[in-house]
Amino acid sequence: MARKITIEPVTRVEGHGKVTIHLDDRGKVTQSRFHIVEFRGFERFVQGRPYWEAPVLVQRLCGICPVSHHLAAAKAMDVVVGVGPGALTPTAEKMRRLMHYGQMLQSHALHFFYLSSPDFLLGMDADPAVRNVIGVIAANRDLAVRGVLLRKFGQEIILATAGKKIHGTGAVPGGVNKNLTPEERDRFLKGPDPLNAGRMIEWAQAAIGVFKDYHRRNRETVDGFAPFPSNHLSLVRKDGALDFYHGVLRAVDADGHKVLDDVDYRDYLEYVGEEIRPWSYMKFPYLRSLGKAAGWYRVGPLARLNTCDYIPSTLAQKEFEAYKAYTDGKPNNMSLHSHWARLIELLHAAEVIKELLGDKDLQGTKLVKTGKRTAEGVGLIEAPRGTLFHHYRVSADDQITMANLIVSTTNNNEPMNRAVHWVAEHALSEKPEITEGMLNRVEVAIRAYDPCLSCATHALGRMPLEVTLCDPNGRVLEKKIR
Amino acid sequence: MRSKRQGPRKEDPVAGRETKPRRVLVLGIGNPGRGDDGLGAAAVERLESRRLPGVTCDANYQLNIEDALACSRHDLVVFVDAARGLRVPFLWNEVRPEAAGPALTHTLGPGAVVGLCAALYGRTPEARVLAIRGHRWGVGEGLSPRAAANLGRAVRFLESFLKRAAGKESRS
Repeated sequence: MARKITIEPVTRVEGHGKVTIHLDDRGKVTQSRFHIVEFRGFERFVQGRPYWEAPVLVQRLCGICPVSHHLAAAKAMDVVVGVGPGALTPTAEKMRRLMHYGQMLQSHALHFFYLSSPDFLLGMDADPAVRNVIGVIAANRDLAVRGVLLRKFGQEIILATAGKKIHGTGAVPGGVNKNLTPEERDRFLKGPDPLNAGRMIEWAQAAIGVFKDYHRRNRETVDGFAPFPSNHLSLVRKDGALDFYHGVLRAVDADGHKVLDDVDYRDYLEYVGEEIRPWSYMKFPYLRSLGKAAGWYRVGPLARLNTCDYIPSTLAQKEFEAYKAYTDGKPNNMSLHSHWARLIELLHAAEVIKELLGDKDLQGTKLVKTGKRTAEGVGLIEAPRGTLFHHYRVSADDQITMANLIVSTTNNNEPMNRAVHWVAEHALSEKPEITEGMLNRVEVAIRAYDPCLSCATHALGRMPLEVTLCDPNGRVLEKKIR
Repeated sequence: MRSKRQGPRKEDPVAGRETKPRRVLVLGIGNPGRGDDGLGAAAVERLESRRLPGVTCDANYQLNIEDALACSRHDLVVFVDAARGLRVPFLWNEVRPEAAGPALTHTLGPGAVVGLCAALYGRTPEARVLAIRGHRWGVGEGLSPRAAANLGRAVRFLESFLKRAAGKESRS
């Protein structure tokens, strides 16, 4: 008898999504889909608003990565006020970088320690009642405390640079509205212990060690879980270095050949298209040069470490070299290695934060620049989850007339669907019984991409995971709720 | 949104040792962009202007696991949140430590945060919750007139309580 499995909501991700898996009479998977069932609508909401409100308004998309939206919108509006990429004052540029790397630190810490580590430390088949961060606290209290404090440190950096931990106002079109006081700098550099930059670097290194240790003991599971070839896209610095704040677009294929290189992101529409499919609110982006079928790509930590040539900080570069050596320098297409890549980025973010804190430009007083007003601006940034596109048009009376956002998770839409399909085929297909552990593997595949499904109202963890088995006529045969 | 005022140290007349005034944290919860859901933040803002000694104020959209760190560093924590369905302008309750469930964001309650203080940092502060009745929850900033009136009463009560609480001593 044909069956349909629904996983809704997907847990330990931000926002609301569901998975449907269709099985035929023999239990063989015939179709799988990862649906995003929330409608965002921000592109429409901001129309008619004054352009200078955009950096504050659009960050309401998300309570987890608002800084990324804040900065991408600010970068776009820099162009509108005539301050193009690279033309900010040194203080403004570095304050924004500090804010962004603080965001990267807290978001990556949140993802690894709160969302993903339960699968590694407690096992994918562990009781879901304990397979969460509370279970991690019980299993390894010191590790849990470090995760909490890494996230807190990142949030404190955001507070100092953006004015608030969530939905700050630090970046304005053409610059920033505050600098970093010497007292704030000293607090981050010198304590109070353990909340200082040096300790964060140590703990980020230790977190990489946790992953490596798990990898050593579970190599087949990690390497063999949802590996599939893809293109990879990200910003890189002009010289090929990893850069989360600014750069040029680069894309490589599964073998590492450059599909895009040194592309000015303001021309993104020439290179990136978006396909609409009727069963999801989320679009499917693709590289125009490769077409809809072959042009889909990954973004995020895995993609960034595949596109960049090196990491411009000492300790992270050393880890990057070991990471690259594992695949003989070729692109890494193993989904669970995105956690490894994320932790290397965590270390890099901690190193950059420490370096920036020592820069006297952060105490500068030239905060904002203006130039010749333009009618259109594009801002791109490497958000924790991947490349984030913001594009606006502004009327002569300063109102936003058009907004187009391609958020990181949208860029990963096709890869997440591929990962779900891989698990459905390999873990669920033709199995006599569907266990909770099998369903968790579907979620593990999605979690590797750290999706942020435009959360605002949905409660994580306490929402039931509902699995419904239906016959071909939609009649409910069996229902499991956890 | 944070502020801190230090109270004076003094000698414990019984034990003959130096004691410290109680460290009090007032933590407002809620989204000021959703009407009366901003009651927690509004209460904290109003309280900050009173500059009470020994009282630290903070506010956020929701409670997070990391809030347990700040809570564990205080002797008394007061959570201030908006509430639906109350029959009175505000409600004042003790918070008992709870075992946190699998919730990660959005649903972490005061009891779970206090429970995490013990689990993560080995210290459990005394805790209270001040629930203020809200009436309007739509998109948009600003409190409804009835919620604003409830806020005034609740903050007067809280201020009075904190003045008494700050006078007590911590021996931790």
